Amino acid sequence: MNQNVKRMMVVLVFLLLGFFLTGCGFKDIDKRLFVVSVAIDPVKENPKRVLVSLKFAVPIVEKISNESFIISQEGDTIAEAVRLMKSRVDKEIDFSHAKLIVYHEDVLKDEIEPNLYYWFIRRRDFQEMSWVAIGRPTALEVLKAKPKSERLPSNSLFLALGRDGTETAYIIPEYLFDFKKRFGEKGLDPLLPIIETKKDLFDINKVALLDKKKLKLELTPKETMLLNLFLTESPKTALKIADGENSFIIDTRAVKTKYKLITENQKDPHIKVDIHVNGRVEEAQFNVRNKDLKQYEKTANKDLEKKVHAVLKKIQEANVDPIGFGLRYRGRHMEKDDWKTWQRLYPELKFIINVNTNISDTGLVE
Amino acid sequence: MNRYFLYLVLLNMLTNVIIFVPKFLLQYRFDGMLISIIIAIGVGMALMYVDSLVFARFPGQGFPDIIQDQLNKPLKTIILVTFALFWFIAGLLTLLGYIDILHRFINPELSKAWLIAIFLLILCFVIQIPTKKVMYLLEIILFINVPFIVFIFFKAVTSEYLSWDSIFEAGTHFYSMPNISAVAVASYVFSGYTNIIIFNRLFKVKLKGVNFLIIFGLSILTLFTSVMVPIGMHGVDKVSEYIYPWILMVDSLRLPYSPIERALFIFLMLYINITVISVAVHWHVAFELMKGTFSRGKGKKKNRIVLALFFTIPILLVIRIDYMQPELLSVYWLIARMFFEILAVLGFFFFLKRRKV
Amino acid sequence: MNIHPIKESIKANIQQSEDLVIKELKAEEKYLEVIYINTICDETQLQDFLIKPFFEIGENSHFLSYLLSHPKVKLFDSKKTVQEELISGKSVVFFENHIFLLDSKLDKNNTVTETSVEVTILGPQSGFSESLPTNVGLIRQRYPEKTLVIESTNIGSISKTSVNIVYDSKKVDQDVLNKVKEFLSSIEIEMFQSGEQLLDFTKKSKRTLFPTIMVTERPDRTAVNIAAGKVILLIAGSPFAMLMPTVLKDQMSAMADIYQTYWIGKFLLIVRYIGLITTITLPALYVALTSYNPEVFRAQLALSVAGSRHAVPYPSFVEVIIMLLMMELLMEASIRLPKAIGSTATTVGGLILGQAATEAGLVSNIMIIIVSLGAISNFVIPISTFSFAVRVSKYFILLLSIFYGLVGVILGVFMLLAYMVSLDSFGKPYLTFREERV
Repeated sequence: MNQNVKRMMVVLVFLLLGFFLTGCGFKDIDKRLFVVSVAIDPVKENPKRVLVSLKFAVPIVEKISNESFIISQEGDTIAEAVRLMKSRVDKEIDFSHAKLIVYHEDVLKDEIEPNLYYWFIRRRDFQEMSWVAIGRPTALEVLKAKPKSERLPSNSLFLALGRDGTETAYIIPEYLFDFKKRFGEKGLDPLLPIIETKKDLFDINKVALLDKKKLKLELTPKETMLLNLFLTESPKTALKIADGENSFIIDTRAVKTKYKLITENQKDPHIKVDIHVNGRVEEAQFNVRNKDLKQYEKTANKDLEKKVHAVLKKIQEANVDPIGFGLRYRGRHMEKDDWKTWQRLYPELKFIINVNTNISDTGLVE
Repeated sequence: MNRYFLYLVLLNMLTNVIIFVPKFLLQYRFDGMLISIIIAIGVGMALMYVDSLVFARFPGQGFPDIIQDQLNKPLKTIILVTFALFWFIAGLLTLLGYIDILHRFINPELSKAWLIAIFLLILCFVIQIPTKKVMYLLEIILFINVPFIVFIFFKAVTSEYLSWDSIFEAGTHFYSMPNISAVAVASYVFSGYTNIIIFNRLFKVKLKGVNFLIIFGLSILTLFTSVMVPIGMHGVDKVSEYIYPWILMVDSLRLPYSPIERALFIFLMLYINITVISVAVHWHVAFELMKGTFSRGKGKKKNRIVLALFFTIPILLVIRIDYMQPELLSVYWLIARMFFEILAVLGFFFFLKRRKV
Repeated sequence: MNIHPIKESIKANIQQSEDLVIKELKAEEKYLEVIYINTICDETQLQDFLIKPFFEIGENSHFLSYLLSHPKVKLFDSKKTVQEELISGKSVVFFENHIFLLDSKLDKNNTVTETSVEVTILGPQSGFSESLPTNVGLIRQRYPEKTLVIESTNIGSISKTSVNIVYDSKKVDQDVLNKVKEFLSSIEIEMFQSGEQLLDFTKKSKRTLFPTIMVTERPDRTAVNIAAGKVILLIAGSPFAMLMPTVLKDQMSAMADIYQTYWIGKFLLIVRYIGLITTITLPALYVALTSYNPEVFRAQLALSVAGSRHAVPYPSFVEVIIMLLMMELLMEASIRLPKAIGSTATTVGGLILGQAATEAGLVSNIMIIIVSLGAISNFVIPISTFSFAVRVSKYFILLLSIFYGLVGVILGVFMLLAYMVSLDSFGKPYLTFREERV
């Protein structure tokens, strides 16, 4: 009996401890504010300061979803701005669901401050697989946009970037960890998709290329799509092929891109690119016939070769390397100074592009 | 039993990612990491083979049982306590390493002492159950957790963002001088075999050669994934910036079709089990070695004292650990461990010879 | 032999009570005296086996030989046993210079009942009765092997309940049998009513959580287990058989498994294990995820959980404890209530209380789902003693989750596993991945 009483006391003490001691770490979900996206804009008056905006999701109550609000705060650094923001909200700010980081172009225009991305890596609650992007006209505008089809704050952007929803080769998503890797890795340069907003609508079809320090080049949507052939495994897309005056469109089912660096021959160092395209004719401005497929393929090969070559040249001229040719070179050469050799080589490299198109049919009609 | 030996080795292979092995090896990625790993595989396999050969002569007997009547008491006590201390530290460092990870990623607001207390409570229960039961528990835990861990490994290796060129770049630095401390650290993945000094009580049949083949294959896989996957994910140039390259590598994985989207949480949950059972195995060995020093009959009270020590020392340490740089400590220990292992295995070998005569 | 002093001493030793009958029969020169307790004695048997022949058989010597050859009649052996037999329902017969014991025990409750605890859809539907001989008969019927051994013993210093140990001498593990016998002889208990009481004696501390003896009301399960080499205890007056040794795997298997096709049986088994995990971890996971680690949720789920908790004024664990307590009360009440009202009470309690509680803002919607799902999963476990153990163990994990969040849940499950692994059931490990063949 006595022992039982003792045991009961122990249990009681534990329960009481439960009520008083749970202060550490115990914070109910309704006492937290979830950040879904972060925007970083420059401050016009003082280029050293940043304007940080956080988009908070409001919990779903009674079928009302997609409620959110945005708070912006100026600060010398992101960390300082966030600290200041804490005093402006009633609940604990929780970054664990922040999946999107948007930068204003001007932040990247001249030499990006490394802390602007290191801060996110350093914090444990940011996901390594948050997306990073450039926002246009400003990063804040991207946060403010609210498409009609959206059910959760910022969710439509997540779907677009995550390829869970739309699948398109015009979007090159970039994750935080990959972004950081590209800053550090010699021979692989960072890139960022550009999100443009106009009245609650998004347009993500361009990509900005950076060297290790700042923004260098912006590709057009078509160029972005062609660059994506190198970055993603078998992207689904439509390739427009010009055939003299006319044009037709190939709906690709599988695109395989391989490249090889041929640099042993010092006189003629070049990169040999092989692209295999599998697809069918989806749309044409003239009558297409199944028996002429071979000829269409030839036309397609020539046209694609020309276009891809133009994109690669453009990238090369800006002296950026988003595809990672340099890294490939380093990975294939045992010399200690292979990186220096490459830096010398890259601006003069030639591209030899070989496209092999396979058109299976012309769709359901001829 | 043959598979039990496999489990013991596998356990250390799994825990290497939390005891700073990748972090340390990655520092040498341009200076002989690969060649060190290959040497470590050779050294590790050789030590394991010799050790298992020695203990195969004493089927069903642990180290304390073997030397029971062979050595005089003070010498025996000194040897057993030294061994126990080494095993205790082995478990302790794993535990402290993992507590640090949990503290950073899961419960940043919870105090470390409070967090470690619950681990210690469970450990104190587990280490005192019979050796056979510890093995049963190990088997169950491995079978529950390893499939998911393998799945995450698989996800990592097949990730689109794993850049193979970075991995090849690390490969092009193959021809460098090996580094002795890197060898020592890499050989940690094998050291699970040392637990045989107690778990030999369960081994009544001779180990088959195929076990060593499996271990050889697994060790190559483990060592290369634990360094190469972080390189591929974070880039060869800046990977050593991270304190936990493996953990952050896992955080770079998205599981779009799982109820938990971030692979990191699944991984950490699985590794709670792996860590606890790993520490339990090491401490069980330490505990049994300590028990070997007691004379028969007076055990119970002394057992409690040992358990109390096992409980209090880590708590005291964890309060001070932040000032002692756990990663440095782990690395020093990992290096010291290899030399101790070599000494111990050689000792066993000659001890066996003497016994034969 | 002079029986008179013995007769007197018996009469003196038995406390005078209402139901003690001392009857003298006289016919011609025959004289017979019989003592019995009429409340536990079957008087029709007395009539058939003793009184009728007494008047029908003429000669003294004939009647004596009748008594000596009757299978239900036993000769006196000692004074002490006679008294005990008298209390347990036999009649003591004094005839000439002999004392006989007539087995006229009243065998009440020997009707075979329908299973009520372990119900299956297919397979036999009858359970054990409350009568020991009937139960032994049921087993004999299902297990017609000559190697079947039935040993008898008594447990309980006051109740002296007779217990039969049943096993197949060819299949039984001798170690287990010895351990069982040792265990039975070590039990010190005054009143032994039913086998479930043994559960607490399986550990030295007399406190166990998980049952290491299975309690079943199904003769078919019992027979199957005898064939599997287990030792069975049948207890007089209890419609349950005890199976030993019992490990976790047995607790999770239902008889329906062998009455189903292979894949269906396996599927049901997996469902049961999922139920087990769900019922143990769900409430704890709720606390851990809402209060410590909401980052584990997907964003959408996190927002709806946050939304549903909006009106709840207190921390998540208080919410969980309130709801679990309500559920426990409901379950307990539905056992106590008469069957006719039982279902009404559960409906009223479950549906209306739950609905009202959310509307009043006392608990969140998601909480209701979690608690009811946990309760339903609990009933998936086929063996009721184990299901009770599971019901309790979820509080242990809940407690850990309150202090440690998600880490606590995982560690709690680990601890439960370790505890189960550390248990032994009569020499057999309670939980192993694969049984070791030595």
